[in-house]
Amino acid sequence: MFRHVNKQLRLYHLADLTPGKSVCPLRRDGSRCWRIRVNDELIQPVSPGRRPRLKWVLLEAVLVAVIGAIFGLAANQVSPRGLALTRNYFPAGTGRLLPRLSPAPAPPNVAGTNSMPIDSAQLLAAELKEKGLQLIDRLQAVQLLHDPRFKQNLVVFIDARDEQRYREGHIPGAYEFDPYRPEKYFDAVLPVCKAAEQIVVYCNGGNCDDSETAAVLLRDIGIANRKLLVYGGGISEWTAYGLPVETGERNSGKLRDPGK
Amino acid sequence: MNTGQPNWKRIALNFSAVLARWLLGAAFLYTGLSKALHPVDFLKLLRQYDLVQSSLPLNSIAAALPWFETFCGLLLLVGIAVRGTALTLMVMLVPFTVLVFHRALAIQSALAIPLCAVKFDCGCGAGTVFICRKLAENVLLIVLSGWLLTGYGRQFSLRFSLTKSHSHRSAPEAGRE
Repeated sequence: MFRHVNKQLRLYHLADLTPGKSVCPLRRDGSRCWRIRVNDELIQPVSPGRRPRLKWVLLEAVLVAVIGAIFGLAANQVSPRGLALTRNYFPAGTGRLLPRLSPAPAPPNVAGTNSMPIDSAQLLAAELKEKGLQLIDRLQAVQLLHDPRFKQNLVVFIDARDEQRYREGHIPGAYEFDPYRPEKYFDAVLPVCKAAEQIVVYCNGGNCDDSETAAVLLRDIGIANRKLLVYGGGISEWTAYGLPVETGERNSGKLRDPGK
Repeated sequence: MNTGQPNWKRIALNFSAVLARWLLGAAFLYTGLSKALHPVDFLKLLRQYDLVQSSLPLNSIAAALPWFETFCGLLLLVGIAVRGTALTLMVMLVPFTVLVFHRALAIQSALAIPLCAVKFDCGCGAGTVFICRKLAENVLLIVLSGWLLTGYGRQFSLRFSLTKSHSHRSAPEAGRE
């Protein structure tokens, strides 16, 4: 009741609303006229102006922002996938601010050619060279996979993607090494890398720079530069060419249908 | 207290605003959760904007923002502090849209292609999208937030306004007249 009356009273100037005075909301048809006695404190139209309303909304927004920020940081701490706030996830300036040109892998319609566009490959090769790393193409990666040293773990493949993507499909025998959670993989990967003669690091390919990040990380913890090779085409190019892809754990023996 | 005929226009407006509130809430819940489930991916995308150099602020934004969006989405869906949340989202969306646009311009200039042909993952939670579509979506979200700020969309809300007195005096009444 009072709520509605309050709305009606907003039609009038505050000066008109003196106690005991009757007010009459004008209706166009003149069919009904409210007579409201404003002689108590209950229906006083408190500050109907815009400023107080805006103030409350602003206060509410600040409250939402503060609680939301606290909630966000707390949820990150609780989440198993949460970020470590103080860690530098991009060592030695890895990562690029603009995507490389023509990032998509080319279809495998020309046998024996590298699908990475030449300008893209040159750009990536130059970026890697600055960091003392070497780029290899698909043919070289395939050659290394069939190298007899691969079976002796002297040639090692490192998959620098996250666990979920690794399990969905990786180059057979590749080690899982997510460079953003390296502590989880150091025990398995470091001894192998130290013993290996050549290490092929790859990620999705295209704009993905996780292979570069992983290679820089391995280099920074003492793996020799000359051993580290970055396969720029990555798993997307590998899959596009119908090359074998293993699913699940390393050496699970489950090979994915090349058509998929 | 009726003034005669029901105000159908106002009723329609209010229920449209409820739909808008749910749409906005669902959009932020979806994008927030999709980023929160892959925080490293979001961190990498966020870094491409080159906003901050040191790790702590960058990581903090990447860690908190997806959950913050989820929180705001939930508030809108259940109808708590609707105007405050709408204002917060609007204040967030405007600079985000400007940043995405600037980045699109940089990509356009690097690739020498028309602006609307620029397609990239802006870190908005929906994967790779064409920039013109993304800008249109953002403008729509800003408009919806602005609309909720006016006080419509009060139905089916747990607590539309956190301030009781405020909620009693300033919002358009939802088709009750």
